[in-house]
Amino acid sequence: MSNALEITNLKARLGDLEILKGINITVPFGEVHALMGPNGSGKSTLTHVLMGNDAYEASGSALVGGIEVMGLPVFERARSGLFEAFQYPTEVPGVSLDDLTVEMIDVADDPSAARTRAEDASQFLGMDRFMDRAINTSLSGGEKKRSEMFQLAVAGPKAAILDEIDSGLDVDAVREVATMVESLRSPSLGVLVITHYSRILRYMNPDRVHVMVDGRVVESGGPEIAERLESEGYAAVR
Amino acid sequence: MSHFDQAVSTTAGVNDPAWRSTARSTAFGMFSDDAMPTQDDEIWRYVDLDFVMDDYRPSAGATVDLGDDPLAAHIPNPTVVRVVDGLFVGEDSFAEGFTVMSLDRAAAERSDMVEVALDRSGISADGDIFKAASAAFGGDGVFVHAARGIVAPSVVAIDIQAGSNGTASFPHVVIAAEEHADVSVVVHLRSHVDTEALIVPQFSIAVGDGARISLSLVQNVGYGVRSIGSLHAEIGSDALFRFGEIGLGGRLARLHLDVGLEGRGSAANVVGAYFGEQDQILDYRYFMRHVGTNTRSDMFLKGAVEDDARSVFTGMIRIEESGQKTEAYQTNRNLILSDGASAQSVPNLEILANDVKCGHGSTVGPLDLEQKYYLMSRGLSPDSADRLQVRGFFEEALGKLPHPELATPVREWINRKYETAQAEGRV
Ligand SMILES: Nc1ncnc2c1ncn2[C@@H]1O[C@H](COP(=O)(O)OP(=O)(O)O)[C@@H](O)[C@H]1O
Ligand SMILES: [Mg+2]
Repeated sequence: MSNALEITNLKARLGDLEILKGINITVPFGEVHALMGPNGSGKSTLTHVLMGNDAYEASGSALVGGIEVMGLPVFERARSGLFEAFQYPTEVPGVSLDDLTVEMIDVADDPSAARTRAEDASQFLGMDRFMDRAINTSLSGGEKKRSEMFQLAVAGPKAAILDEIDSGLDVDAVREVATMVESLRSPSLGVLVITHYSRILRYMNPDRVHVMVDGRVVESGGPEIAERLESEGYAAVR
Repeated sequence: MSHFDQAVSTTAGVNDPAWRSTARSTAFGMFSDDAMPTQDDEIWRYVDLDFVMDDYRPSAGATVDLGDDPLAAHIPNPTVVRVVDGLFVGEDSFAEGFTVMSLDRAAAERSDMVEVALDRSGISADGDIFKAASAAFGGDGVFVHAARGIVAPSVVAIDIQAGSNGTASFPHVVIAAEEHADVSVVVHLRSHVDTEALIVPQFSIAVGDGARISLSLVQNVGYGVRSIGSLHAEIGSDALFRFGEIGLGGRLARLHLDVGLEGRGSAANVVGAYFGEQDQILDYRYFMRHVGTNTRSDMFLKGAVEDDARSVFTGMIRIEESGQKTEAYQTNRNLILSDGASAQSVPNLEILANDVKCGHGSTVGPLDLEQKYYLMSRGLSPDSADRLQVRGFFEEALGKLPHPELATPVREWINRKYETAQAEGRV
């Protein structure tokens, strides 16, 4: 049986700068994993390389639901079932979330199912007042994350990577986002939650935690790793 | 022998009252002395006028009829009038204190009213050969007048149809709102797609104290038409002039805007959106003169060019010594969608007063790659992502139009131009 996400020996460089030095991570369907690591360890780079950002020179394999996505253009990776929630969601002036939702529904495998997901998520996340506003423009940090979660729901991916979904949020908002992530759990989805702090993991139950330092996964294990990092810091794994 | 001789000028002025007759013959003198402007003239610097007046002949009467104006269909209960080949066609319309009539007829029958309006905001014939030609050979168009305190009962939708093949026409729209009056006008400038003609539209706008005039101009002529337009507005105390221009058509489409904020507390909001393709040249010369104290102006234009099209925005905010406590802003943003396309954006400030707030912004660049990446990460194809971004780019300008009801058709026209360019592989 295929996994939601299976990353094998993924490497990436920017010119002379080697950022990812052979990453291996597998997220089975139905599971939520956390990827932790200090700033600059390469977490966002991993996200962008998986999504197909052509700024990086990449090699290795990434299977989404068993389908190789490396080498595909960005939109084909999205349509293969990969979703990236951005650490810093891009502002798209003059384009409302509603406009984008219409386009996303249009390209979905099953548009009527996507429409239903959009309606449900809009209600669940209380999106009404965001739909007419330009994407990520003059939204608070928490509103941007909510918008990313909404788009995730509309896309209905097989594998979702949430990059620092908790950054820049106050405690209440972190708890709220954690609840949203837990609500995503489904047998047809695997989630990789990227975080710098273990804070958000207090409100979630990750099945596994991976620790990345300097472009390598140095440790993978149960949630107890997050607890250890919280008390001892990244010094413990370096 | 020229197609534009004294006899033609005299014929055009057959209904002129004395003051207009005099002005016409003076203008004819200027026209005869004027040469075609060259790019050495600063004000024509970016435009190569590769033709002469005699490439065209004066229009000999209204012959084109393009059918009902699709733009007017978006305006609730408009008063519709038509100007074809420079001549007013149809019925004059009168309501309590509100007049919409043929300019030629108005000049004869309401001579004083027209003379006063043109004294204030007429376009000087000594500006250049086109302005002289308009005064010498034009004469008709539309006269819109609201008496003191009158709120016009409906939007005036003026459908200006440009020329039979090979003709030059000189439609003139004069809009006068007396003290505390309120007037709203939409002009649609159009032609057959394959018409080859010259059109020299003129707009004279007199906004009385405490009055408001809202004017939208949608320029939609075919790619064989040269349109060389001028607009002159004079704005009284605590009065407001709102102007929006949509530039879609024309092989050469120029608009020379000259707005005088004369009265204390007068204000002007100017917005524009333009989209050029093929080898179109869109040339905007916008001048804003702050004369009164506490005056306010905002110019905001967004444009895109693809294929081999070129756009020019030259904005000038001039604040006279008397223009203390002025606030003036100009913004011009341009998208370059093909390698062969280009945009010049030249904002200027000339400030002679010391207590003012001014700002300007100007950008020229391609579509944003980060936005594209973000949209594609949502499964949108590269073409859809670009299309959405182009659409979004114009929204800010469309949101400021003096007539919000025009946003829908304008958005569709712009999107269609871009989608066609995508389909034909030009962008
Ligand atoms: N576009 C870029 N330009 C220059 N350096 C980059 C770029 N992207 C990433 N890096 C470098 O790669 C390393 C990893 O960065 P990043 O993936 O953002 O780490 P993280 O998300 O874990 O904080 C850092 O040293 C960072 O400076
Ligand atoms: Mg990061």
